[in-house]
Formats: sequence, structure tokens, C-alpha cells
Amino acid sequence: MRQFRSMIYPYVVWLAVMVVVPMLMILLYAFTKEGNDVTTFRFTLENFARFFSDAVFLDVLKRSLVIAIVTTVICVLLGYPIAYVIASGPEKSKMFWILMITLPTWINMLVRTYAWVGILQDDGLLNKLFGLLGIGPFQMMYTTFAVVLGMVYNFIPFMILQIHTSLAKMDKSYLEAASDLGANKVQSFLRVTLPLSLPGVLSGITLVFLPAVSSFFIPKLLGGGQYVLIGNVIETQFLTSGDWNFGSAISLIMAVIIMISMYLTKKVDTDPAAEGRRE
Amino acid sequence: MKKLIQFKNIVKEFDGKLVLKGVSLDIYENEFVTLLGPSGCGKTTLLRILGGFLTQNEGQVLFDGEEISKVPPYKREINTVFQKYALFPHMNVYNNIAFGLKIKKEPKDIIEQKVKRMLKLVNLEEYADRSVTEMSGGQQQRVAIARALVNEPSVLLLDEPLGALDLKLRQEMQHELKKIQQEVGITFIYVTHDQEEALTMSDKIVVMKDGEIQQIGTPTDIYNEPVNEFVANFIGESNIIEGVMLEDYKVMFEGRKFDCVDFGFEKNEPVEVVIRPEDLDIVPREQGKLKGVVKSVLFKGVHYETMVETKVGTEITVKMQVSDDQPVFNAAANEKMSANDFYLDVEDVEELDDATIIARADAQAWNPDEDELISIKEVQYSIKKENGTYPVTFSTAAGTSVTVNMIVKDENRVTSEENEEEIFAVNFYKKADEIQESIALETDLKTWANASAWSLEGEPVEITDVKYDFDPEHITPGVYDVTFATKGYEYKVDTTDKHEVGEEVGLIFEPEDIHIMSMEQ
Repeated sequence: MRQFRSMIYPYVVWLAVMVVVPMLMILLYAFTKEGNDVTTFRFTLENFARFFSDAVFLDVLKRSLVIAIVTTVICVLLGYPIAYVIASGPEKSKMFWILMITLPTWINMLVRTYAWVGILQDDGLLNKLFGLLGIGPFQMMYTTFAVVLGMVYNFIPFMILQIHTSLAKMDKSYLEAASDLGANKVQSFLRVTLPLSLPGVLSGITLVFLPAVSSFFIPKLLGGGQYVLIGNVIETQFLTSGDWNFGSAISLIMAVIIMISMYLTKKVDTDPAAEGRRE
Repeated sequence: MKKLIQFKNIVKEFDGKLVLKGVSLDIYENEFVTLLGPSGCGKTTLLRILGGFLTQNEGQVLFDGEEISKVPPYKREINTVFQKYALFPHMNVYNNIAFGLKIKKEPKDIIEQKVKRMLKLVNLEEYADRSVTEMSGGQQQRVAIARALVNEPSVLLLDEPLGALDLKLRQEMQHELKKIQQEVGITFIYVTHDQEEALTMSDKIVVMKDGEIQQIGTPTDIYNEPVNEFVANFIGESNIIEGVMLEDYKVMFEGRKFDCVDFGFEKNEPVEVVIRPEDLDIVPREQGKLKGVVKSVLFKGVHYETMVETKVGTEITVKMQVSDDQPVFNAAANEKMSANDFYLDVEDVEELDDATIIARADAQAWNPDEDELISIKEVQYSIKKENGTYPVTFSTAAGTSVTVNMIVKDENRVTSEENEEEIFAVNFYKKADEIQESIALETDLKTWANASAWSLEGEPVEITDVKYDFDPEHITPGVYDVTFATKGYEYKVDTTDKHEVGEEVGLIFEPEDIHIMSMEQ
């Protein structure tokens, strides 16, 4: 074993350069002021104060969280039944549907999101269809609807796959046992299937919530300039205003929020006995 | 006692394969019934049909006189202990046991009371809050039993519940299960392939094979009076000998008459005679009812398992001609080649092909430096279907060749009317070094002599004995006898004394130790 140990050094170096150093840089920038020159920085909490004292930023943060939560909830509500139907189907159709769900993710996310512009815009596909039915046209682009739709569309495969995996690997004998003990189909689902698939739901939530809360190109494309989310603010600070310190501070705030939410989900996830305690 | 469950002519097939071929069985109240049989006999299928997890293709299942085939599992008054327990991993012991009661929406205090009583019954009072995933196999087993019993079913189904436990725990649980059954006083239907388990616990054993019931009876009935060879062999070890029932209380086997306690057979009806190994005793040869030779002795802990052969099987002796001919050496191509003469049966001439000839002649070509085999490209011969000697020439691509003789002879076989079997073997030629180098000489001798045996009905019979009196390590050219034999009559005897292999002994038994079975159809 020992002789192979030295082989991990290249990876350690790679990790240090590509992951750890940039993180430290963000940390450093977030707590400093004065240009981008590392040699002249001074420590300050100004960036954070600026963020929390400005109602505009707090509004954006709130809106981002609300949209991410709405997206996640929709993904769970839509994804669970889909995953359930796929998992209870025959093996062959399982493969087919899983392929159908993963297939779009082979295409660049940006391209797929652009496609929605064509569908949703005022003279787009949907409005033309509505026109044939004699209704509309509706303004769909640059609305919360469009942004949430884009997010659900892009992130729901992660939810379905996670839930499907936990449902598919579940031992069918648990359902037989439940049925044997007098539970009908609904009771079996609520008392056995659902709690046992909860870990899958939770990891699905993590996988949807994280990209949803920090996404910046979906609101940019489908929400237009006026629909600003926290991801867009960070992007602007880095690319347009050139205020890396403030951008880093917002990133750090987001990172902390995400860490807290992950810790909370993890806590529910690893404590299945909490479910089983005597009521 | 009242009939609780009636299976009426149950037929079940999976993918066109019949798993149950018309099973009819009555089960009474408060019985401990065991479905016993090898895997694939349909016992678990029958249990799952009763549990409601499978539906039969034909036939009826009556519960308390009512047809229940269309009743879903959750409405049946039956609970199951599953093979791998299927305890809910997200619940603790208490909630696993309370599951059924909560579904029925019983009041909380009643649930608590009932669960506590069950925990006491299965000796797990301290474990209520334990997660089931942290428990040992034996404890999980008990939780599964408690979870089923708390619903107060009229029938408890147990699907090989002790299969995953080690021997000691299994024996402990056998006693415990029996105790629980007597205490709660309900019907237990128990599925197992373990005959000892079945004998220990059951009131009634149902022996199954290939989707059919072989015998239904109490453990003593089934052990002492098995109805056929399958049951006799499945329930413990047995000696089974063919015989003829001369009249009531008189049976003849091995050419001698014996007293027995069985009656009700037709005069001179052919039967199978069962004698349990523990009912036989070894005595000095002159005192024995049967005489034989000790063939093998195995130490089994409390006793020795001694095999006594009372009659040899069918034998055939052939000549092995050993030469020390050197292989042909082709210096130009640097190839060596060898082959033997061999004997052929007239019957085999028609089916002869190159590969068979090469194999029978043991023809080989090789490079002496690299010791690598070279393929034989050509086999030249002409042969007629009559006795005679026919030359055959093998050659390689490089032109090395060897010519040997194929000697066609009439069939060389021994038929034994008594044993109802035939044995066949031919004389053969071998080189001394081939015998010295053989790593499985008995198998090689069988192959070289083309030895085989079959019953007069055409079923293959194993050749169990190969006898020769040469030293394979130091064999010299010459002619040797090799004898092949099938298995004769052998009796397994459980003895406390150790006997020597080859010892001449007698066997005794009492009339009541003889059990008579009708011949299997």
C-alpha cells in the first residue's frame, strides 16, 4: 500500500490549485477592500454590511430563495409520481424511461434553455397554439412563471433519478409484509414506501435546490434583464462592476446559506429512527 | 378438531412450468403443520397462495369454509413470518410490532398493552426502542414472529424462518417456536427443507416433491413408514432394498425370507424394503442374517457410519496390454509421435470419426524440445462392420506418421439378470509411461477401456469399483487384468464400534425394523 501512496500527490496538488486556492481567494476577497491588488488589501466587514443594509439586495436574496424553494417543491410533486410510476413498471420500460429522462441532459443546458425562449416568446410556439384555439396571446417571457418553468425543466431529472433509485432498490418484501399486516395500498405507501424513499427525496432536494438558488443564466434568458436573482448579482459584480470583493462576499453568504440548508436536510436524512420513535 | 383451511386441487404454473400439480390438503385448527420438501417442490408457492401473494391457476382455497382466492392479503386473517423477516428498517422494534394494530386504528393504550405482551412472549422486553437494523438474526426473527402474532391471526405462516440462523440458534428457536405455538394455540404452517426441523416441531408433516404431495402424516408415521423411496431418503438416511412380499408378515430380499410386521400387500407383490441405519447391528459373520464385507467407515461424532456390502455388483474383467514402445521420431521435422492399438466394438464402427479414433488410439504428436503438442492433420483408414484388424495411419502436416491397428471384436459385455444391469468394457493397449503419468488412474482406466454400465431399462449405471493388482508407479510391460464393477447391495449401518475395512461381518435386525413400501409407479 505504502508504495502507492505517493501516487496521490498529483491529485492533491490539482485539488489545491483548482479548488482550495480559489476558495481561499474568495474568502480573502470577501473580507477585504481596495482593488484587486493582494499586496494592498485591508480587512473589513464592509462588504457584508453593504449587502445586509441594502433592501434591494435582501429582496433579491429573498426572491432567489423563494424561487428555488418553489422550483424544488414543484420538482418533488412532479418528480415523485413520475419516479414511482417508472419504478413500479417492468424492467424494460424502466430502462427506456430513464433514458428518456437523462437524454436531454446530454445537450448543453444553455442551448436547452434557449429553446424555451422560442417556445415561450410572444409569437412563439405556445402562443401560436393558443391562437389556434382562439385564446391569448399571453406574455410568458420575463415572468416568474418562465423562470420557474426553466428551472423545473432543467433540474427535475436529478430529482426523478434520485427518487427512482431509492424506490427501485427498495425490497418488495416490505410491501408484502405491510399488506400481510393489514395495510391496503394507500396505507402501505404512506407508512412504508414513502418513509423508505425519503433519503432519495432529500438528496433530490439538495441536487435541485443548490443549482436553483445560484442559477444565473436561466433568470437572465427567461427572466430578461429586469428579473434579477442573486446569481445575476454575483455575476454582475464580477463581470460588469468589477467589484470582486463585494461579489465574493455575496458568494460567501450564499455558501453559508447552502451549508445550513444542507446540514438541515442531512440531519433529517440520517435520523430515520426519529420517524420510528414511539409516538 | 375442525377443518380450518382446505386446498382443493391447486394448480399453479409459472411461465408454462407447473409448480403445483393439483395439490389437495386439509389443515385443522391448532395444528403445527410442516410443508417439507427440497427446493423447487412448490412448498413456498403453496404458502404464498394461502398468504394471498399469489393466485392459483386452478383449484380452490377455503378458509373456514369460505373461498378466499379473491380476498387480498390485507383482508385475510393470516399473518406471515417472511424468509428474510422483512422488518421495516425505518421503524424500531416497538413500531414494527405495533404496525398491524396501528393500521387497525386500535386505541393507543391497547396497542401498548398488546405489544408489551408480545415482547414478553418472544423474550425481547428490553429491546422495544432498539432499531431493528442493529439486531442479530435471532432477535430479528423474534421481532418478525411478534409482529405477526400481535394481530391475533388464526393462522401463522412461516417461510423457512430459521434458514438464516446458525445451527445452535436454530435448534434453540425450534423449541421456542413449538412453545409459542402451544402457548398461543393457533395453527402454524411451517415451510422448510430441513427434515430434522420438521420432525422436531410438527404435529403433521406434508412431504412434497415436484409440485405433488408424497405423504401426509405424523413425524413418527413418516419416519417409520415412508410410503416411497423419496420420502424414505428425504426423512433421514435409509437402506432401501428391492424385495418381494411373499404373504402377510413374510418378505423376501437378497434371496432369503424374513419375518416382518407389515401386511396388506398382494401375494408376491414386488416391494421396497426400508431398514434404518440405526436399526442394523454388526455381529460376527456366522450370527448374521445377512453376510457381507465392510467397504468403508466414516467417523460421525457419536457413531461410525459403516458401509457393509452384502453382494457385489456386476463385474467385467478386461486385459490391459502394457508396452514400452518408444514414440516415432521424425528428425527432419523435429517431431515425435505415438499411438496405441485399440479394440472397438462392432456396434461402434458406424459412429466412428477421426476425433474418436485419435482419442481411442491416444494419438499424439509433439515437439520434443518445446514439449508442445502438434495437431494431427490426417487420419487414414478403411474399416468394415465385422470382426478383424484394420490399420489406421495418423500423420502431421510435416509428414510424421504412425500406423496402429484397430481390432474390431464382438460385443464384450456382461449381463446380470439378478442385478438387472449390463456392463461393458474392452481390452486395451497402453504404454508404461502413460500409466505412470496418470493423475486419476481409475477414471483413465475407465476411459481407456471404454467401460460403461446401464440398467436393462437403458438407464446409465455408475461404475463404482475399478480393481487391478499392479503398482502403477512401477509398471512393466506385460498383460494385466482390470476389473470394473457396479455397486452391489450396500447397507449403511450406524455402529458405536469401529470396524476395519475388508472385515467380514454379519448383519442382524428385528422383524419390526423392516418397513415395507409399495414400488414407486
